[in-house]
Amino acid sequence: MTNFSVLQGEYGACVEALSEAFSKADEAAFFAAVDHIVHMREPRMLHEIRKLTGGLQKALERFSIESRLADLAEHEIPGARARLTHVINMTDEAAHRTLDLVERSGPLAERVAREASVLIEALTAYRERPASAGFEGVTRSIEAFLPVVRTIEAFLPVARGDCEQIRHNLADVLLAQGYQDLTGQIIRSVIKLVEELEQTLGSLTRLSGDIVEHATLGENPNAGHGPVVPGVTRGEIASAQTDVDELLSGLGM
Amino acid sequence: MSTDLKFLVVDDFSTMRRIIKNLLHDLGYPNVTEADDGNTALPLLRAGEFDCLITDWNMPGMPGLELIKAVRADARLAKLPVLMLTAEAKRDQIIEAAQAGVNGYVIKPFTAATLKEKLDKILGAAGK
Repeated sequence: MTNFSVLQGEYGACVEALSEAFSKADEAAFFAAVDHIVHMREPRMLHEIRKLTGGLQKALERFSIESRLADLAEHEIPGARARLTHVINMTDEAAHRTLDLVERSGPLAERVAREASVLIEALTAYRERPASAGFEGVTRSIEAFLPVVRTIEAFLPVARGDCEQIRHNLADVLLAQGYQDLTGQIIRSVIKLVEELEQTLGSLTRLSGDIVEHATLGENPNAGHGPVVPGVTRGEIASAQTDVDELLSGLGM
Repeated sequence: MSTDLKFLVVDDFSTMRRIIKNLLHDLGYPNVTEADDGNTALPLLRAGEFDCLITDWNMPGMPGLELIKAVRADARLAKLPVLMLTAEAKRDQIIEAAQAGVNGYVIKPFTAATLKEKLDKILGAAGK
């Protein structure tokens, strides 16, 4: 059966009724036949409209996702890159500041220890000096103690100054660790962005019905993987130096 | 043990180089030169008469593993004591490094005591 003969089968009776009502000038029968034909066409039309609406909705949804993706690619990703670079700079700065303070404190502590050793030697020499009896002994004892007093007098202000400076440096080391709070917040915001990107790409993939193949970038086989990130790094991992030592001793090293 | 040994410390992060340099200084090794990857380290090693190489693995340019392979392939450097100091902690990587010819392997974060122990071991074995 051809397409038109199907139509003839469906509409033949209606067209005949319409033609008959038309020739008899029967208005009521004419409009009844027209209504019947319209009614027959309606479900097909509605189906077409639904199809069009669905397509339009999908296109709008896709447009909205793609607009967000374009926005992410254009603004948010470069922003995230800049934020992560800032994290590197902040940690670098804090580490150098801490190292500077540690390097400055070391020689001060060494000087206090050195001067204290000189003082201990002076006191030991005083205690171990040959003792004399009587008034002369007392006089000699005072005379012998005078250089020790001078050493103490020289040592105490230096020790106080150095210790105050070390304490000050330690307080600055403490403050330099404040970067962690800031970098933590920045990294969290980048994690949020990655989550959004993941969801948006997921929605787009579902909408397109495409199969996304995971591409592997051309990597240098000798390059490392970076620090172990718990929950992310896969495979057998040495969690402590003892694991490494055991493994290497097993290899005869 | 001699304290005038010449060290080359290779790491892309200047803070880590500084930490290692400070630790070496405290261990009695003040003679330390720095490089930020294998490409800058290799010419220094070939020219510098170093007694020990301490290298990171993951670096832009030439990674540590490639540097070690290049060192072992160079007849003049083949016996150089090499310590790998890295955050790479996968079992396969440690085996790969051992096969490439490292003398010691320390994972980050590390302690001064671990560094001393491994250096004593590899320098002792090398008769330095």
